[in-house]
Amino acid sequence: MRALIDSIGADRIRQYLPLATLVILVIAVGVAQPAFLEPATLLQLAADTAVLFILATGVTFVIMLGGIDLSLQSMASLASVIVALTITRLGYGAFVLAVAVGAIVGLLAGLAHVRLRIPSFIATLAMGGVLFSAALVISHEQSITLGEAERGYQTWITGSVAGVPSVVIVGLIVLVVAHILQSRTAFGRYSAAIGAGEPAAYASGVKVDRQKVIAYALSASFAALAGVILAGRLSSGSPTLAAELLLPSIAAVVVGGTAITGGVGSIWRTLVGALIISVVRIGMTFLGVNIFAQNIVFGAVLIIAVAITIDRSKIPIVK
Amino acid sequence: MTPSADAESPRASASPKSAMHRFRLASWAPVIVLVLLCAVIAVINPNFLSFGNFVRIAQAAMIPLVLGLGATFIILMGSIDLSVEGILTLSAVILSLLVLNGANGNDLGLLAIPLVLLVGAGVGFINGAVHVKLKVPSFMTTLGTWFIGVGVANALLGGTAVRINDKLVRALAISRDPLVGLPWGVWIAIFCFFVALVIQNYTRLGRYIYALGGGEDLAGLSGIRASRVRIMAFTLAGVFYAVGGILAAAQLGLGNSQIGLGRLFTTITAVVVGGTSLAGGSGSVQQTLVGVLVVVVLSNGMVLMGIPPSVQIGVQGLMIIAAVALSMDRKLVRIVK
Repeated sequence: MRALIDSIGADRIRQYLPLATLVILVIAVGVAQPAFLEPATLLQLAADTAVLFILATGVTFVIMLGGIDLSLQSMASLASVIVALTITRLGYGAFVLAVAVGAIVGLLAGLAHVRLRIPSFIATLAMGGVLFSAALVISHEQSITLGEAERGYQTWITGSVAGVPSVVIVGLIVLVVAHILQSRTAFGRYSAAIGAGEPAAYASGVKVDRQKVIAYALSASFAALAGVILAGRLSSGSPTLAAELLLPSIAAVVVGGTAITGGVGSIWRTLVGALIISVVRIGMTFLGVNIFAQNIVFGAVLIIAVAITIDRSKIPIVK
Repeated sequence: MTPSADAESPRASASPKSAMHRFRLASWAPVIVLVLLCAVIAVINPNFLSFGNFVRIAQAAMIPLVLGLGATFIILMGSIDLSVEGILTLSAVILSLLVLNGANGNDLGLLAIPLVLLVGAGVGFINGAVHVKLKVPSFMTTLGTWFIGVGVANALLGGTAVRINDKLVRALAISRDPLVGLPWGVWIAIFCFFVALVIQNYTRLGRYIYALGGGEDLAGLSGIRASRVRIMAFTLAGVFYAVGGILAAAQLGLGNSQIGLGRLFTTITAVVVGGTSLAGGSGSVQQTLVGVLVVVVLSNGMVLMGIPPSVQIGVQGLMIIAAVALSMDRKLVRIVK
């Protein structure tokens, strides 16, 4: 097995494995259930993937730097509560408010991480607790349903343009923006450099801390946007709305081929990863696997994907 | 609470004077915080000092303590274990399905307990083996097993909750001993504490765990088989979480998939508030005991003061940040990821 991998080139396998997996999965599900390959079903798949993709895109920025964000599901839930509570008064401003709160939260988490030198997984785990608590308090521990009047503001999420669900278009805009940020800006290149080798990046004059804070602010802002969209799709806001999305989001990034050690990865890979997760979910639902038990598969997929993509030369001692 | 003898970890000797100073302050700060906290709450609400409230605190502390003991060994190695809720939920659900219950015909009684402990050990072993053999960082491995554990529990339950009808099992958490009047579960937790203390101080595993946390490369050069120690530590932690799962199921009288909710957070808060360093190598189960008491007394005090429980998780989050920020030896850590 090892010899075979060596002969083809492990890097090349790593590069194309996610895309090949996606194609095989789509064909497998399509063979089992031909209706799956109809355009309407595929568009529905894209619409259902949008929230997951946006969450995963945000955390991709952080993972590229070699960090992690474990607060994204709490941030998304909090954003849904903010929208549900303020949309009557603020209208479209509620969405802006929710994303702005996300940016500030990410800024604070990033500052706690770089200034206080707290490892990112613990800083964001703690931040997640604070956000969950905040969402519980402002929502009075209840799920808030959006009324008919407020749903008018949600057409950019729930409506459709020329037969394409609006949420797919929003997802594509996020893809373009995130791709430009990641591949065409100084921030994107510095992120990759920091992920590839932080001491070298630091030595070449990259303002490491600033790039990190920007990455965490982006991650939380995207999580907030995902929460806003989720609130629109489910017509409600609740402190636990996105609670089940942490694992699939991180799994999407890793399955797409972005290494958690940082430096290697892209938004495109995350798109492929998010689609894989969605197709696997549909396949499992088709097989009749309980929605909660699906986490067994995602947990296993996460570990296997990390084991394949991780760059062990960067971590001589694995802790 | 005596400061433990682990002061001489390699990193503490970098600059003797300041390191010594930091060590003294760092190891006593949680105790001081605990005493101050008790004093302030007692002044605001004298009910805090009643025997009834003491029992309530002990009862609230028993599960976090057992979980914290397991997590301490992992954090001492410089690793992290996010699978606390997964193993606890799985253990609680399996226990509820093995004893006299409302869902199937099983009636193993107390015999179910060793089986559940084995399940905990098994999942812990998987954590350790995957982490070491596949070289996957522990936070990713255990993030995976966290959700796998809850997922398996859900699959076993089929989306319902299982009532525990076995009186003896329920008595573990509810009945009180005739002498002091504490629930048996508290005594179980105290017993676990002493077991952990013995493992930490008087076994090779305990010393090796400190050695790995202090510097794995050095430990390896001195002939310690790091991967074996790691697997054993994760297995041990799994057993402690399984005890936590048994106590949680006995306390609630149910096995359901939400039984672990929020427990990872409390566990990590307790360990880091106690002063055990996330970098590994310094800390102890005694410090975790203090950390658990700080967390439990604080939430008990907040209840007495009428602060809603939903605020508590946020307060714990801020405590994690504060405790980690205060305990990090920043001069020695250039890169934090």
